[in-house]
Amino acid sequence: MVDSPEMAENYETKLGPMVSVLIPTFNRPRYLSEALASVLYQSYRNLQVIVINDGGEDVSDVVNSFGDPRIVFISNKENRGKAFSLNKALTRAEGKYITYLDDDDLYYPNHIETLVNALENETNCQVAYSDLYKSYCRIMPDSSRQVLSKVVEVSRDFDRFFMLYFNHALHVSLMHHRDLLEKTGPYNEELNILIDWDMTRRLAFFSDFYHVCEITGEFYSPVGESDRISVQRRKDKNEYLRNVLTIRTTRPAKPWTKIEDMSIIFIADLLNQEAGKTLGLIWRHTFYPYKIYLPLPQADFNRIDTDMPNITLVPVNPLSSRVEKIDAALARCEGEYVVIVPSGFPIEEMWVEDPLYALINSSVSRQGFELEGSRDTCWAAVVRKGDLRFARGRFPNLPVRESLKAAGIVLRHLCPEEIPFQFDSLLKEAQTAEKDGNWAKAARMFEHIANHHQNELWMKTLAAKASYKAGDLNKALKLSSEVNQQRPTVNTLLLEARVNREKKNFSLAIELLEKAEQILGDPIQKIRNSKFRVGSQEGQELLWK
Amino acid sequence: MEIRQENGVEEHDLTQHYEVLQELGDCYTSVGNGIEAQRCYEKAASLGPDEPGPYVGLGVVALRKNLLDDAEIAFRVACRLDLNCDEAYAGLAMVAQQRDDYKQAFQLYLKCLELDTDNLTALLGLFQTSCQMGSFAEVIHYLEVYLNMHPGDASVMFSLAALYMKDGRFEQSRKILLDVLTLDPANKDAANLLEEVEHSLAQTKQS
Repeated sequence: MVDSPEMAENYETKLGPMVSVLIPTFNRPRYLSEALASVLYQSYRNLQVIVINDGGEDVSDVVNSFGDPRIVFISNKENRGKAFSLNKALTRAEGKYITYLDDDDLYYPNHIETLVNALENETNCQVAYSDLYKSYCRIMPDSSRQVLSKVVEVSRDFDRFFMLYFNHALHVSLMHHRDLLEKTGPYNEELNILIDWDMTRRLAFFSDFYHVCEITGEFYSPVGESDRISVQRRKDKNEYLRNVLTIRTTRPAKPWTKIEDMSIIFIADLLNQEAGKTLGLIWRHTFYPYKIYLPLPQADFNRIDTDMPNITLVPVNPLSSRVEKIDAALARCEGEYVVIVPSGFPIEEMWVEDPLYALINSSVSRQGFELEGSRDTCWAAVVRKGDLRFARGRFPNLPVRESLKAAGIVLRHLCPEEIPFQFDSLLKEAQTAEKDGNWAKAARMFEHIANHHQNELWMKTLAAKASYKAGDLNKALKLSSEVNQQRPTVNTLLLEARVNREKKNFSLAIELLEKAEQILGDPIQKIRNSKFRVGSQEGQELLWK
Repeated sequence: MEIRQENGVEEHDLTQHYEVLQELGDCYTSVGNGIEAQRCYEKAASLGPDEPGPYVGLGVVALRKNLLDDAEIAFRVACRLDLNCDEAYAGLAMVAQQRDDYKQAFQLYLKCLELDTDNLTALLGLFQTSCQMGSFAEVIHYLEVYLNMHPGDASVMFSLAALYMKDGRFEQSRKILLDVLTLDPANKDAANLLEEVEHSLAQTKQS
């Protein structure tokens, strides 16, 4: 019992800050029981566990069967979707940190302790995430799961630019400060898929993410037709695209502490079909946060009929020149970076992100980039707002491009080594070599990536496999052994064992394979045998130590 | 870069647990731990019900315990699951050989070698059964094919030399035994057989 503020403070100091675990559930009572058990048997004890039944079949028996006072149970009368449920749960959350678990996934007993320890002691980031096994399973007639494999599919170090493009941190492995939600805003209830990416993307506006390279749980992927609602919904391509575009155009309230805004000044002499098409392409192909500034005569404002978000109309005189339009828009721009793009400019994937990335990461001041496809008659560039304002202020009578040059701001084209996603391009190339059966090349490339582009364990794992396939057993042994010493996975244990077996080193092969078999075993059985389980004497003692 | 949806499932993602158990079973078999090997193969069979591997493993474990009926059943299941499972035919051949049914064993070893000319168990089994039956022509052919692909395999070279000798082809036998002794000068069996072959050669020349 904690019955005074002092005692409560002592209790918190000893146990660490409270963590709120949010578990939305819908019609999966059997798996919910296992998911809930995996939370309640955590080594970290100071938890608030919020279960939200989203209008599915009654699970109060499942929840009550644990008899654990840390559980808060909420039941929606009707199915309102995951985002709604999470938002409702967040109104009840009291923890310093928030973490999430789907009703068919599992934490290992150290999951929360690992992430709290990272956020409290290892980093200034306000978000941390770990790695999880993707557990491919066969659903048996009694609805139990027969595990076919456990694979770490993603183990990617945080990359903000990539996070804006697509998610690379699993929601179930995420822990963040609750306070951050005041900045990001709640989950978007307009989305019906990718709501987790929408939130991680918004979190990235305000914090770096700390990657804990440990496997602390697992999520399930049944073979055959998946019953996951999100998987079913992804099959509708239009709906998928609608969700992606909604997410990419979401702009949380400012100030943003980790991302600088981009303003796009769109120049159109006429609001015609071509202008509409160019705007549509910008909407579809731009993932960096942006706002479009559209300088138009006031009389044309009501001709704009679009669902496209983030457009600011800038009133200009109907007789304004292009330069005057740009100057008018520039005066309104909020972004640190300004893009000038005319109607009809060819817009493709990465049209602006390639040069923008180079500009953001350039240590050279007073430079900008002309966009790919820019020419004298259809000129487009990205520059720093400060540089552009300086140039326009000093040389207001010159055309924009000339004013920049006159102000000493160098406009140039990209070098290949400046483009973003180098890691992904190399990875793709290595995977192509793999598919072509060119294992030696793939192995060399994976090793190169491991040494020069972060994501070391992940890339070493792939290099080990490729080396084995290429027949370089010694290299495969070295790499898999290095990975296993840091963070063993089933795949690397299996690989190291195979090489040892081929070298007739049976006892070591057996040791490695037994470890792999243990990982592949039933995690719930292990969790239930955990010393942290509720009701066990050791568990009670640990609770009050 | 385009907006991606789902990654495809790699084949290995669906067989990994099976592979771990099958490997573990094979390792236990190699170190003579039949109990653990059997446990692993049985679990592997439940994970890969269409795979012949675990049944071959179970057959080998039974064979080592001299449970010939159990071994035969296991190898037959493996054959049914994969008509081209050379290891299962080798297993059935070994069962037949244990039962002194050399003719049947010989046919099954041959079947195995048709599927995989590299199968050393079948090759040596064929050698043994042919010695037991006294017919060498076919087995000599297989050993020659094998040695073309794996030159320097001393145990097969020795077997072939022995067969050449039994077939009266002393010169060929002598040549191979000299090669074996070049590779392994301490090979006493080869040295003894060479002595015997040279003695026979001398007798042939005298007569």
